[in-house]
Amino acid sequence: MSQNLNSAVNEFNQEMKPVSLWADAWKRLRRNKMALVSLWIVGFYALVAIAAPLIPLHDYRTQTLSHTNLRPSFKPAGQIALEAVEAQAILLQERVDAGVESLKPNLERTLREVESLKAALDTDPASKNVYIFGTDYLGRDMLAKTIYGARISMMVGLIGTFTAVLVGVIIGAISGYIGGWLDNLLMRFVDIMYGLPYMLIVIILMALFRKEGQSSIVILFVGIALVSWLTIARVVRGQIISLKNSEFVEAARSMGAGTGRIIFRHLLPNALGIIIIFTSLSLPSFIMSESFLSFLGLGVSAPLSSWGSLVSEGANTMELYPWQLLAPAIEMTIFLFCMNFLGDGLRDALDPQSKNRT
Amino acid sequence: MKKSLFVVLALLAVFAVGAQDLIIANGAEPASLDPALMTDTTSSNIGFALNEGLMVYDPQTSKGIPAMAESYTTSPDGTVVTFKIRKNALWSDGTPVKAQDFVYGWLRTLNPETASEYAYMLTMVIKGAAAYNDGSGPASDVGVKALDDKTLEVSLVGPAAYFPDMTAHHAFEPAPKWAIDKHGSNWTKPGNYVGTGAYILKEWKPQDYVLVERNPKYWDAKNVKLKSIKYLASDNSTTNYKMYKAGAVDWQVGITVDLIDEIMLRKDYQVSARFGTYYLSVNNTRAPFDNVNVRKAFAAAIDKTTLIDKVLKGGQIPTDAFTPAMVGYTPQPGVGYDPAAAKKYLADAGYPDGKGFPPLTYIYNTNEGHKKIAEYIQQQLKVNLGIDIILQNMEWNAFLDMRAKHDFFFVRHGWIGDYLDPNTMLDLFITGSGNNDGLYSNPKFDAAIRAAVLATGDARMKLLMEAENLLLTQDQAFIPIYHYSNQDMIDTDKWGGWFPNPLGYHPPKFIYKK
Amino acid sequence: MSKYIIRRALSLIPTMFIIVTLSFFLVRFAPGGPFSSEKKVTEQVLQNLLKKYHMDEPLGKQYLRYLGDVLRGDFGPSFRYRDSTVNQLISQTLPNSMLLGSIALSMALFAGISVGIISALKQNRWQDYLAMSFAVVGISIPLFVIGPILQLILGLKLRWLPISGWITSRDGLKTLILPALTLSFPYFAYIARLSRASILEVLRSDYVRTARAKGLSERVVIGKHVLKGGLLPVVSYLGPAFSGIITGSLVVESVFAIPGIGRVFVQSALNRDYTLIMGEVIMYSLILVTMNFVVDIVYGFLDPRISYK
Repeated sequence: MSQNLNSAVNEFNQEMKPVSLWADAWKRLRRNKMALVSLWIVGFYALVAIAAPLIPLHDYRTQTLSHTNLRPSFKPAGQIALEAVEAQAILLQERVDAGVESLKPNLERTLREVESLKAALDTDPASKNVYIFGTDYLGRDMLAKTIYGARISMMVGLIGTFTAVLVGVIIGAISGYIGGWLDNLLMRFVDIMYGLPYMLIVIILMALFRKEGQSSIVILFVGIALVSWLTIARVVRGQIISLKNSEFVEAARSMGAGTGRIIFRHLLPNALGIIIIFTSLSLPSFIMSESFLSFLGLGVSAPLSSWGSLVSEGANTMELYPWQLLAPAIEMTIFLFCMNFLGDGLRDALDPQSKNRT
Repeated sequence: MKKSLFVVLALLAVFAVGAQDLIIANGAEPASLDPALMTDTTSSNIGFALNEGLMVYDPQTSKGIPAMAESYTTSPDGTVVTFKIRKNALWSDGTPVKAQDFVYGWLRTLNPETASEYAYMLTMVIKGAAAYNDGSGPASDVGVKALDDKTLEVSLVGPAAYFPDMTAHHAFEPAPKWAIDKHGSNWTKPGNYVGTGAYILKEWKPQDYVLVERNPKYWDAKNVKLKSIKYLASDNSTTNYKMYKAGAVDWQVGITVDLIDEIMLRKDYQVSARFGTYYLSVNNTRAPFDNVNVRKAFAAAIDKTTLIDKVLKGGQIPTDAFTPAMVGYTPQPGVGYDPAAAKKYLADAGYPDGKGFPPLTYIYNTNEGHKKIAEYIQQQLKVNLGIDIILQNMEWNAFLDMRAKHDFFFVRHGWIGDYLDPNTMLDLFITGSGNNDGLYSNPKFDAAIRAAVLATGDARMKLLMEAENLLLTQDQAFIPIYHYSNQDMIDTDKWGGWFPNPLGYHPPKFIYKK
Repeated sequence: MSKYIIRRALSLIPTMFIIVTLSFFLVRFAPGGPFSSEKKVTEQVLQNLLKKYHMDEPLGKQYLRYLGDVLRGDFGPSFRYRDSTVNQLISQTLPNSMLLGSIALSMALFAGISVGIISALKQNRWQDYLAMSFAVVGISIPLFVIGPILQLILGLKLRWLPISGWITSRDGLKTLILPALTLSFPYFAYIARLSRASILEVLRSDYVRTARAKGLSERVVIGKHVLKGGLLPVVSYLGPAFSGIITGSLVVESVFAIPGIGRVFVQSALNRDYTLIMGEVIMYSLILVTMNFVVDIVYGFLDPRISYK
């Protein structure tokens, strides 16, 4: 492992003035257009999510059963509903004419509905509602649902990422740097956490903390945090092991730097790229694992929903009502896209080795 | 060019049909093919191909029609039934079917060591069966005797008119002692399986499929039209529906409820009333539901018709009663939808306009359909009673555990009858019954049900109606929502012998290609 | 090095022991049980069932019995699939998941690393943006959306490929294409992005500069030096990924009706099929700890800078 010391990267000058590391990074980030646009969009998402109760939305809980499964439109709901029901009546008429007697009551009911919708056009204030993202199976506003869903999902993503980075990076770094029996112990602990049947742990958590008249959102976060850090710990450990015998670490050590300083000042900044990439890659899986946990009964309770649950519900009806999938899916994908580009930008901006190049 | 392609495609299609006659998307992996151990319809669907009991379900009415038994006689007091077994009835290995095989099979189901979950079907009606099953009586006291090779005598606990119909159920099928002794629990594997049914087990690939082929030894083999049947274990109903639409599946058991708006317009969508009820259980021993007026207020606050017309749309029948109507039996309803009355009941209970009503959680097991209903109910209670409830879904097994421990206030519940009789529904609410999760208890109700065991005909039905009247009209022990429906995808213009029926059993021996 | 390998290998035994022990008690601690159903069995039948499966004995005794059976390679009878033993169920479904998983992972590895290299070499050019956007889409859209969309278009509308089924059906090997493609998507995304990021880093590292300075051709530098060091994070990720993918994905197996162990595992957990859950936990953990072991050893070969002391 003999390498030319002259080509060692200059980490030392950045150690001297850590404040300028962030200032520098910010300067570089601002020059990255993709990252900057992403930052704005993520900021917008966060703002909307936080301020959701202040935005003049339809209540995400209000059911309008005459307005179920309406397509997205800027036109008033009464008109869209009337068009949909009239089309349905024609379809039913065709089937009945083709000899499907069993649909007759259905047809009669639909024709009655056409009449009542026509009558309600001017009288019922609800028919003036506009649903730009359409409505769901109980006639609730998809826009409001996805915005309230964003709150939950972004929160879940935040918590997953936070624990993944905090616990995963620290455990991985300590394990990799100190090595020996401690490494073996910590990594076997990670193996054990992987091996235990996670589904049952979640079910037990849920049963233990169920309370009458309360929902279980805090346990949901615990459930996500429990496993979010495992893979990143292993990845960070691998990186640290590969870096710890580099010259710059030897140099720092010979200058008398302590373990903590070496890990946090020298090793982690060099592993930052992988940490950021891995975290932004894991974000979608945290958000989707929330919908799996709600399947097990751990999560937000209906009628509140999350991106994950909206997407999985929407996937079931995508052939008939594609907007019920597209509205939350596009909203979520844009967010994840931005988070990834932001991650890339951050990585580039914080890259200690690119510092003297830009 | 186009023409030759068409010919090739046509040939391929012919070849494809030749491989299997009927392909069924059966909905899940069968838990067991042992008639004594089956508990789910996935298994029993296949079981009906492999085995036949004394009777077989009529594909149109779900009543029993003679199968292994060619006839039966009932003693004047109705407590002893004697079956005559067909002379030409053979097991699939060629052994003649004897009355002793039934005795063996039934005793095996009852044997505590078999631990059969459906043993209760036998213990309910057959004399001495309950004692043998719980270890307190000997096998020799069970009221089933082979008088000779072809005569089976069954002694019942009372004059159960529905008993012959019950024997079409898989719990009453005979068992091949020699095969079970030889192979142990592996006797249900291909190659080992010996059955009395119209088909024999050819292949069983777990989580993939079960393939059965026509049984040449079957007594009525000349009337069995299909060469083979393949039961796919796929549990994803959306995928199954796509397979059905692509023609890769001929019969989809159950439907994709999310696509009901498309499905209900199809003429191959089969829907019929099912012998079972969806209801909301309340804990009768806990406040506020220990108050009959609260229960009545909830029942009156929920518009079931709109729920079915606008949300479920799957042929369910809204109901205020528990037992579906049948010959001689008029269901006795509880309170129907009436928002004004609902408010009054709630005020009478001490919560005018919902004021002071304690926080309440409605619990349902995770399922899209249950969720829609829960959300609808939440809104109805809010609008009609001014009560805010919280919804909570739970994973199935934890849900059952919570419900069995009566650790709830308000939960989703459902019950499917095992045979066409009010008893299979009403027995649920006897004090101390294992399935009485809501802890309803009324000695008068218990007495009426008990008296009905010894009665026959109209007198019996009258007693059962009286019981339901106490249960719902007087006490409103729970809130019925609708009677289930059977929903299947199968083109009956193409497949004959398949009919919608109340129990949803479709013995494959009757199915043929038109 | 060999000393490290031996010590590392020995540590697998207590790890497995702890996983088995904890899981055994966790599984029984979960609410519900293997014999619960909408129609409850009578008290007597329940007693019969418990007795049949030795569940009426004290938990400690059950545990010791189970441990003894497992050491003899017998995972016991399944509680839910009462005609089968756990050994039978695992041996009939695990190979299917392994087949599908290894195809999907090979595809993901090949495509992911190639895309990663190209992106890194063409950093911040259109090839890079295109590839990385594709990867982000791959990871952002859940499998239960990708799978049905592929089924709908390629299976139902165009009729090019079978909608679902397994190689045992008439469609044979064609049934593998859609599920393998779907399953490889997120793994591809991870591998592509991880390899891009780490190759970028390695490209600037001392030893690559040294190699270049020595006048080695760009091909040798990339093929030998960059790839070796640059694949490290991918290898770390592969340990859990490999064990995850070959033990089956619930979503893909359910959507495409694959008779794999992923479906069996989820069903067994929902059914509280104690023996089946345990059998699967043991199989999965064995594969996982072995993979992580292999990964640790591979580190030493991949990265010239790593040495185990």
